[in-house]
Amino acid sequence: MDPITLFSIIKGGLVLGALYALMATGLSLVWTTLGIFNFAHGAFIALGAYVAWQFASADAYGLPLGLALAVTTGVMFAIGAVIHFLLVKPFERRADVVLITVITTLAGSAILENALLLIWGPRSKQIPELVEGTVAVAEFQLAWSEVLLLVVVLAILIGLGLFLRYTRPGRSMRAVSQNREAAQLLGLDVPIYFALAFGLSAVTAGLAGVFVGTIRFMNPAMGAEPLMKALIVVIFGGIARFSSPIYAAFIIGLLEAFSIYVFGLYWAPAVLFLTMIVVLLIKPEGLFGKYQRTL
Amino acid sequence: MRYDPSLHRTQGLLPLLIALAALIVYPFVFDATYFRHVVILAFVFAIVATSWDLSLGFGGLFNFAHVALFAVGIYTYAILAKTLGFSPWLSILAGGGTAAFVALLIALPVLRLDGIYVILVTIALSQLIYLVVISSSDVTGGTSGMVTLPTLTIGDYRLSRDGRIGYYFVGLALLVANLGFLYWVTRSRLGRSIVALRDNKYYAIARGISEARTRALTLMASAVFTGMAGAFYAAYLRVASPDAFGIGFLTLLLSILLVGGAGTIWGPVLAAFAISVASEWLSGFGAWQNIIIALAIILIVVFYPGGLWAALQELRQAADGARTSLMARWRRRERPAREALTGAPERMLETPHGSIAIADTGGDKPALLFLHGNSACKEAFCKQFRAFSDAYRVISFDYPGHGVSSNADPETSYNIPAYAEIAETVLADCGISEVYVFGWSLGGYVALELAARGNITVKALGITGTSPLNMVPDDFGRGYNPDSHLVLASKQYFSRTESDNYANSATAPISEESAFLHRNLRRTDGRARFYMLGRLGVVDWPRQMRMLREGRIPFAILNGSDDPFLNHDYIARLKYGNLWNGSPQDIPNGRHAPFFNQPDAFNLELFRFLKSADR
Repeated sequence: MDPITLFSIIKGGLVLGALYALMATGLSLVWTTLGIFNFAHGAFIALGAYVAWQFASADAYGLPLGLALAVTTGVMFAIGAVIHFLLVKPFERRADVVLITVITTLAGSAILENALLLIWGPRSKQIPELVEGTVAVAEFQLAWSEVLLLVVVLAILIGLGLFLRYTRPGRSMRAVSQNREAAQLLGLDVPIYFALAFGLSAVTAGLAGVFVGTIRFMNPAMGAEPLMKALIVVIFGGIARFSSPIYAAFIIGLLEAFSIYVFGLYWAPAVLFLTMIVVLLIKPEGLFGKYQRTL
Repeated sequence: MRYDPSLHRTQGLLPLLIALAALIVYPFVFDATYFRHVVILAFVFAIVATSWDLSLGFGGLFNFAHVALFAVGIYTYAILAKTLGFSPWLSILAGGGTAAFVALLIALPVLRLDGIYVILVTIALSQLIYLVVISSSDVTGGTSGMVTLPTLTIGDYRLSRDGRIGYYFVGLALLVANLGFLYWVTRSRLGRSIVALRDNKYYAIARGISEARTRALTLMASAVFTGMAGAFYAAYLRVASPDAFGIGFLTLLLSILLVGGAGTIWGPVLAAFAISVASEWLSGFGAWQNIIIALAIILIVVFYPGGLWAALQELRQAADGARTSLMARWRRRERPAREALTGAPERMLETPHGSIAIADTGGDKPALLFLHGNSACKEAFCKQFRAFSDAYRVISFDYPGHGVSSNADPETSYNIPAYAEIAETVLADCGISEVYVFGWSLGGYVALELAARGNITVKALGITGTSPLNMVPDDFGRGYNPDSHLVLASKQYFSRTESDNYANSATAPISEESAFLHRNLRRTDGRARFYMLGRLGVVDWPRQMRMLREGRIPFAILNGSDDPFLNHDYIARLKYGNLWNGSPQDIPNGRHAPFFNQPDAFNLELFRFLKSADR
């Protein structure tokens, strides 16, 4: 393997890892806070891409990219909160809440995807690249868009981490997820923090969707495959800490990039799933997880 | 004390046979291929959804790789029947076998996991199977799948001919076999273990159920017919495509399962038909089709958490409530006959628990209140009305949902404290503050509750056919004979046989004299039985026992010596502070209603007790 191939594999792995980290963080945020698995996360990814396209694309409103991203963030947050109040909140006191929310978020995902189909039609679209051009150091080529993706994703994740760690609403949200009853006794408005977690999760999914939309063609079902990857990442890394899915995402991203090189495009996903299952068999709580008897 | 008779002994058999007959006639009435096609798909979905219910609903094991088992059946058929040239019929059977084998493989990682992890891992496993299928394109055809699979034939007759009628009946037979299998499994030892592990895992394990073995068997049992349905589906459509792994198919099946009602066999079958027909009907609306179905699923989950099956039960309950309520109104017209039986005038009293029918001999004599048993009526004491009315003002009333009283809100009115409250209202209405109380069976508990509440001065307290309880439900099993027809006491709907059995044991074998007691079973609001026993927890049982131990009220137990329901030893062992004659008194040859079977001996004993209580 020559250095340029190795460099491009690692570069691809890091880009994938950054995307997966963004998706998986949102997924695990909802999981740790609400204790449910959000199957509409994939639809959020597609929705974010389409909303950003609507505002940013020259074929539609053609707003400046920064403004379009800000609008997308706002829209995604609102939709995430609304989805929480419609699809999750009514069931949170039920004993079978995990199963019920699986079906309601699956149904919500079907509604969102078909709504995208109705609004924007089946034709594939693509978001214009955020920045153009490449930077080259000796023979190693790196597109500016890739650099930007890595920087922005890391900035978002660090920002989210700081928010959860040092701000009052972030700490309250963690309190709610750790002990709902105690948090309630302290006067925290639990449904609001649940909605906040859902909204933030939707924002990360939407932004991940924007990046996916710049790399690939968009269609309403584009979120399904990233959702599966986010799922692998979350299970692989565990959800013990905010950072566990992020490390796991980069490991999975690099593993995928190398598997594609070694086993080919078709077998690479199978390698990932197999890795995940092996990890689960040996350490069911995830690679960075702490042992818990039940969720 | 779980009463769970087999299907042919309940009312479930007839609707089932009617449904089966309708499905057999259907293809001859609607001979358009399209109509049959929709129902054949519904058969397949029903098989897959009900099988899934075994692991998900009954077992609480969220196996989201179930759809992959279906796909395994499809590809087994495709590879065996087309590539290897096996007989299509054998390939269908083999589909069940390979699916069960794959289920065993799925079971291995799942054995160690719980809750949401099972969902995630099984989704991952199903994706893994999917990836293996599309990656080995030289065997499975990859993403484009396999086409022109061999069709099913009997001799030279191709089942797709004559408007696919052959496939229709093979599908129906497969569905019937699947339902029979599930019915058998859920009632078997394995099925009980599956439910026990779901309801209380650690208790079940402590009772010697192997979690690993049961989980593996659950998944395998749910896989057999799923795989066969997959193979049949492949033989019918003659295509094997990886679409079967898709999230769309998963959503469809999961919605059939939840809309039908998880944890029931029949609910998902109904939902399979409803959703396939609705989905076909909406197929002209493009993207709106999926939106409408998804919305409907959410609405059903919100408003009918138990699914269609629960909705159907509610409907049945409402119909039964309306029927019994009408029957009570109708029977109010027979007042003269009832008054002739008891010799006491009857009147209606409006209470917060509905209008209550009271029989009251009146007069300025000491009051004696009789409280009747479950699914009976105040006229059960007709022989006491006649015997005691010279010396006492005899009063009795029908509980709500019983006799000619109206039906009432089951949540608030069908429980023992509510009945005691009604007794207080009735006595207040009669202007009585001191009373002798005698209660029979359920009425015995009402009598104990009435005395323990202490709002009315009870001068003497007698019970028959009642086991005083310390701890519920534990003492319930000790105080009664669980092999008797008492297991029927909380059953909401009675079949003819059950109704006869219960009335024979609880009152008297049917005769001209006891016919009016047997008539009560058809009138009694089924919810009164179901809620009364379900709400045993609202009674302060220790307070009743404390009252009996303290012995401020003279107390007598007059049981039939041949009472089929009671555990006489249990009753004799309890501690009483002021028990008449020091022990429970047996009425020779008396049954659960000794005052009706052996009126003379009973009346004499009761009379002696009441006299002794006055001293």
